[in-house]
Amino acid sequence: MARTRWIRMGAAAGVVMVFLALVGLIGGFTDVNLIGDQITFAGLMLVLPAFAAGLVAAAPRVEGGERYEMRLSEAMIAAAVAGAAAGVTFALAVVLADWIGAERIRTVFLNVTPQLMEFVNFGQATAPGALLIVAISTLAGVIGGTLRAAPPPVRRPVTSAVIVTLMFGFLQRVIPIALDQLKLERDWLYSSQFDGLTWIGAVVVGVVTAGISGLNARFGERLRGGLAQAGGRSGPTFSPVRLATGAIALGLLLVAPLLLGSVISEVLGTVMVFALLGVGLNIVVGYAGLLDLGYVFFFALGAYSLALLTGATLNAYGIPPEPAISGHLNFYVAIPIVMVIAAAAGVLVGAPVLRLRGDYLALVTLGLGEMVTVLVGSPWFVPLVGGPSGMRGITDAAIGGLAFRDPQRFYYLALAFVGLAAFISWRLATSRIGRAWTAMREDEQTADAMGISTTRFKLLAFAIGGSIGSLGGALFAVKIGSLTPASFQVLVSIQVLGLVILGGMGSIPGVIVGALVLVGLPGLLREFEEYRFLAYGAAVVAVMVLRPQGLVPNVRRSRELQDEERAQDEWAKAVEEGETPPEIATTGAAT
Amino acid sequence: MTRGNGPPGLAKPGWDVIVTLDPRGTEKKGGFMNHRSWLKAFALVAVLSIVAAACSNDTGGNNTGNGGVDCATVEFGCVEVGADEAINLGAAQVISGADSTLGQDQVNAINLALDYLDGTFDQKNGTLLDHPVKLTVEDELCSAEGGQTAGTALAADSSIVAVIGTSCSSAALGVADKLLGDKGILLISGSNTSPALTDPKLHNPFYARTAHNDRIQGAIVAEFALDAGQLGAKTAATIADESPYTQGLVGAFEANFEAGGGTLTGSEQVNSEDTDFKPVLRSLAEQKPDVLYFPIFVAACTLIIKQAAEIMPDTTLIVSDGCLSSDTLKNAGKAADGVWASSPDLSAFQTDEFYSGEFIPAYKAAFGSDPLSVFHAHAYDATNVVFDAIKKVAIKNDDGSLSIPRQELRDAVFATSGYKGVTGTITCLPTGDCATDVKIGLFLAPGWPVEGGKGDTSAKYTDTKSLDDVL
Amino acid sequence: MAGTEAPRVEAVRLSRFEQLPWRRIILVILGIVVIGVVAVGATRTLTLAKADGGYSAGAWRDFVVQGAAQGAIFAMIALGYSLVYGILRMINFAHGEVFMAGAFGSFFFADAYEKSGFLDRDPILALAIITAVAVGISVGTAVLLERLAYRPLRNAPRLVPLITAIGASLFLQNTFRGFFGPQPYGYPKPVVLAGNITVLGVPVQRIQLLVLVVAVICMTVLQWFVSTTTTGRSMRAVAQDREIASLMGINVDRVIVITFAIGGVLAGIAGVLYSLTFEQVQFTMGFRPGIAAFTSAVLGGIGSIGGAALGGFVIGLLQAVGPPLILTGFGIPSVFSLRDAFVFLVLVLVLVFRPGGLLGTGEAEKV
Repeated sequence: MARTRWIRMGAAAGVVMVFLALVGLIGGFTDVNLIGDQITFAGLMLVLPAFAAGLVAAAPRVEGGERYEMRLSEAMIAAAVAGAAAGVTFALAVVLADWIGAERIRTVFLNVTPQLMEFVNFGQATAPGALLIVAISTLAGVIGGTLRAAPPPVRRPVTSAVIVTLMFGFLQRVIPIALDQLKLERDWLYSSQFDGLTWIGAVVVGVVTAGISGLNARFGERLRGGLAQAGGRSGPTFSPVRLATGAIALGLLLVAPLLLGSVISEVLGTVMVFALLGVGLNIVVGYAGLLDLGYVFFFALGAYSLALLTGATLNAYGIPPEPAISGHLNFYVAIPIVMVIAAAAGVLVGAPVLRLRGDYLALVTLGLGEMVTVLVGSPWFVPLVGGPSGMRGITDAAIGGLAFRDPQRFYYLALAFVGLAAFISWRLATSRIGRAWTAMREDEQTADAMGISTTRFKLLAFAIGGSIGSLGGALFAVKIGSLTPASFQVLVSIQVLGLVILGGMGSIPGVIVGALVLVGLPGLLREFEEYRFLAYGAAVVAVMVLRPQGLVPNVRRSRELQDEERAQDEWAKAVEEGETPPEIATTGAAT
Repeated sequence: MTRGNGPPGLAKPGWDVIVTLDPRGTEKKGGFMNHRSWLKAFALVAVLSIVAAACSNDTGGNNTGNGGVDCATVEFGCVEVGADEAINLGAAQVISGADSTLGQDQVNAINLALDYLDGTFDQKNGTLLDHPVKLTVEDELCSAEGGQTAGTALAADSSIVAVIGTSCSSAALGVADKLLGDKGILLISGSNTSPALTDPKLHNPFYARTAHNDRIQGAIVAEFALDAGQLGAKTAATIADESPYTQGLVGAFEANFEAGGGTLTGSEQVNSEDTDFKPVLRSLAEQKPDVLYFPIFVAACTLIIKQAAEIMPDTTLIVSDGCLSSDTLKNAGKAADGVWASSPDLSAFQTDEFYSGEFIPAYKAAFGSDPLSVFHAHAYDATNVVFDAIKKVAIKNDDGSLSIPRQELRDAVFATSGYKGVTGTITCLPTGDCATDVKIGLFLAPGWPVEGGKGDTSAKYTDTKSLDDVL
Repeated sequence: MAGTEAPRVEAVRLSRFEQLPWRRIILVILGIVVIGVVAVGATRTLTLAKADGGYSAGAWRDFVVQGAAQGAIFAMIALGYSLVYGILRMINFAHGEVFMAGAFGSFFFADAYEKSGFLDRDPILALAIITAVAVGISVGTAVLLERLAYRPLRNAPRLVPLITAIGASLFLQNTFRGFFGPQPYGYPKPVVLAGNITVLGVPVQRIQLLVLVVAVICMTVLQWFVSTTTTGRSMRAVAQDREIASLMGINVDRVIVITFAIGGVLAGIAGVLYSLTFEQVQFTMGFRPGIAAFTSAVLGGIGSIGGAALGGFVIGLLQAVGPPLILTGFGIPSVFSLRDAFVFLVLVLVLVFRPGGLLGTGEAEKV
């Protein structure tokens, strides 16, 4: 029955609301203003689940093989039911909490503070508070449902407007700085009293976004078609639209530090380092299909090798500052050596284990990463790398007099290296090696039978991916100027893997987007630092379940899938119509 | 052409099979995007990047100043505070995560110092040289990366006069101290205790601290252990963890213990997230040390206390302020009885009229609880030292604005001598240690000076040393 | 595939150099080096005088007992990994968090019972309730994981559920951190479990003995369950071939849920035992035992119950006995700081020589 579905959805949303309250995402943010000082982050968290429930309840259903769009009235009812169910569930929890006593619950769940209880009851007593919760949740649900059931010309602009406005609200510490740098007026947009968007600013942003979205909807197709004709080419890989987007993105990347100041540039510098790591891991995981959970191995190897080769000193008190092995090379001379060392290490370490099946390989690489973490912090290696206190005095990669430790300058250095790595990666992908990797990734046994030496190509992937990773490590060392083992935990491997996946495995623009989202956003939204990995874990699960191809999927892969699907559809159609089915042309392994 | 297994049956021993694939089947889509144009595009990007880097200049940096003559020529320039502007004091402390009590405590103390500018604790800030003072806090996350982010943010703000921080030594070491020092911004810490920060070879000229140097704490613990009237230990073993703080303390203890005639029977390092320390303890127990010193943090420390009670019951256990918490007493229970903890001993000042009569009540009134860690007092002192220095070197301009020369501010702080702070007498050495005559006390559980401590919570042994007395 | 001719195939004579069985030669050399290092290290350690850092027989005995007790816990958690892997060919990275959830959840009951004295008045009943709570929470977490995160990905390429599991692990850890805070909580131990007991002349902690006994019982019951009961046989059938099992009328979804649930039961029991041993719970407590258990499962041969059990005990013993036995002889400072690295090195070596694990077939399975 449809109705039970709506109620179940609502109840699930209610459970999510309870979860958000218990984990602290509501109580801790009652004074983080997004718009005006009425819409706070806490308030948003409170209504978002109900809104989402309404959205999903009003979604088109697939019943009996047919897609069934809801009429507006029906959608609103469905959404109202879902929203109400969410509200009722949450209200029940709140009433229960009030009855047991928030103080008693607080001995177990730390976030059930008096402030939280006051907030969720909207400052009222229990009964009116509960009614308000139900009412507001129902309303939120209805809004969600209405939005979903609205015709696309209405829905898309409104959705974009809401999302972009909220983003502006979130980035309240970032965008004002950018505006200040550009010497633009910002008081109309961001209030200086309470740190959030002003209502005027929110309305303006919303209207402008809706306008752009609406224009795109009406004229976008024609524009794209026109451009495509003018360009005379077709095909998703190098279409003019993609080129234009790419060019704009590249332009933004180049210009950002100049516009946004040191603080943001510093965050962007870290983003670039992780993007570099992502490009490297992308070769191992995305191209060659080897699950590497120990990428921090190359990261640490690169960082410490560079430090040792360029004359860094040890930090610990009571030991001689000169490491056991020390060189005094210039950064640009040391970099190729670092990459060669990493490639050699990759081959040495990979050779015995690359014959293992994928899951075992994951564990072994995880172990290798752990080993490196343990070794660089261990007393045994103190004479070489300084143990827990680490090393300092790492070169600032100066050319002539131009040093690169400044946030903006470092960003450009990192960007140049990312460009280099991306170029190498791109060339590899379309080369014979890349095609061998694709073959290996898609069907190892067939590839082997076709004459592709899987071991050799796996080692190559490991070596190249590893040397790019070591490059990232070296840059990281230059950025901070100082190294401690604490920076080289298994969490780094997981983060890099996450950004490769989020962005879309095998896709370089995806890696950069992934880095921006998973490294840049947390770096800019420092007040959410405590919830960073909670959001991270949830995001990874959500992306994998809902959209495993990532945010910016690899076009070639998508095309492969599409071609295959199309071929299969044609075959099926031919069979249905009783004709001879065509030869299935598969895009496939080594062609 | 590739080598490989090829179709089965063709490969014979001693022979290999080569499968040649038709090279003409290669794809070449998108003709104009061939490899030469990409190379040109990339080269263009690279050149543009270098040019942009060379031409970029960040905000902040030297300002020419329009106050006195000094500001235009002096190194690092001056901070200009307009006639109706506030003096911007920075703070780099850990305010989120598991260690947040350490940082939050110090931020609270700094705010109390701002309050006391008008001579009373009335929860209304006073003024410094007729200018209000505002506090800009950055989170340093108790890590090197956090130290860099906080340091960059503060260094980028040219209105910051000085920074009170960091909380954790790892955020300062080679990171925040350098970032701020390169811009001539003074960094003075109320809780960094790592010896490396003030090592003559490693010290940054713009770094100072009012917290003690762990060389002193380690030495006093060693002395306490060796003292025939106290523990009278002949042998000792140590357990460190993966943090620089522990490494410094253990190193100082070991050096002083051996110099004093003791024998070190074992020195192990564990991971603070481990739980099973039984093999480590059993291994150290083989040599039957008289004392086990493990200056690590609460989670691992509690476990070692419990496990050591069974494995080395005759060994005296000593921990440090990283473990000195009510959680330890609660979680270790009876096993904690008889465990010694070293910590700065503020007892002399806790009976001091100002501290107990005004400061602590003001803290309670403003923040709802007693101070959470011992370093709040050091942060308070650090702030006041900076205020005094500002008073000495600020140039009052005719229009009511101030020019504070950075180098002179630093010199004035380092010239502090005999200043009577809450933590004791403050005399800054050229290497940045301002806490001379550090008094370290050893407390015997359950009489620890924390919530839940039972019985007499005063130090059973104290000693005062300065850096010259220790190794 | 336009414009292709059939690939040309030709046979080419290999040179003498290329004919050598390189892989086998390297393996043999590696084996000799490893045996050499172990022998040298061990002999040097065992011949060290007490004053120079040598160990007494009592120390070795204690290392073994400590290692076995840790190993028992690892084995119980490893069983969960093995069972799920056998059925789904997927590593449930979040199993360590399933373990943590049960332990943490049971803490509040244990704490309340200790405060009221119930824990010491009637320890058996109290512990039974505590364990039931832990098992309930662990099973609930495991089943939720399966339903929300793994079921939608049943047919995805193997990388995808693995990565989802990592994300789920992070999510669960931080959920507990958010709910209960980052600090450790002291877990009570009933008086009856405190202290030592002498078994066959060897002093063992009571809790260690309990852990060993419970672990052995659980594994025996599990083995019986899987080999005799219908459900157990269904599990084996699904593990062998999911499609055929479904064609034979087995409700595959139900069997998978039951597998996760059983893993959850074992993890919950392990959670209580672990908490009683170390008397502490914290949101990070699942991560390292999780990796150790995963390592154990792989070491022993993942997918098999015996393998998980053997692997668990081997890893437990390795991490307690290995560093003192082999590394001390080489004069390496602080041998226990290298404990984790040592264990992983052994794992890598085992997999190099026996890619299927100790109880595996000895051949690298290619799928």
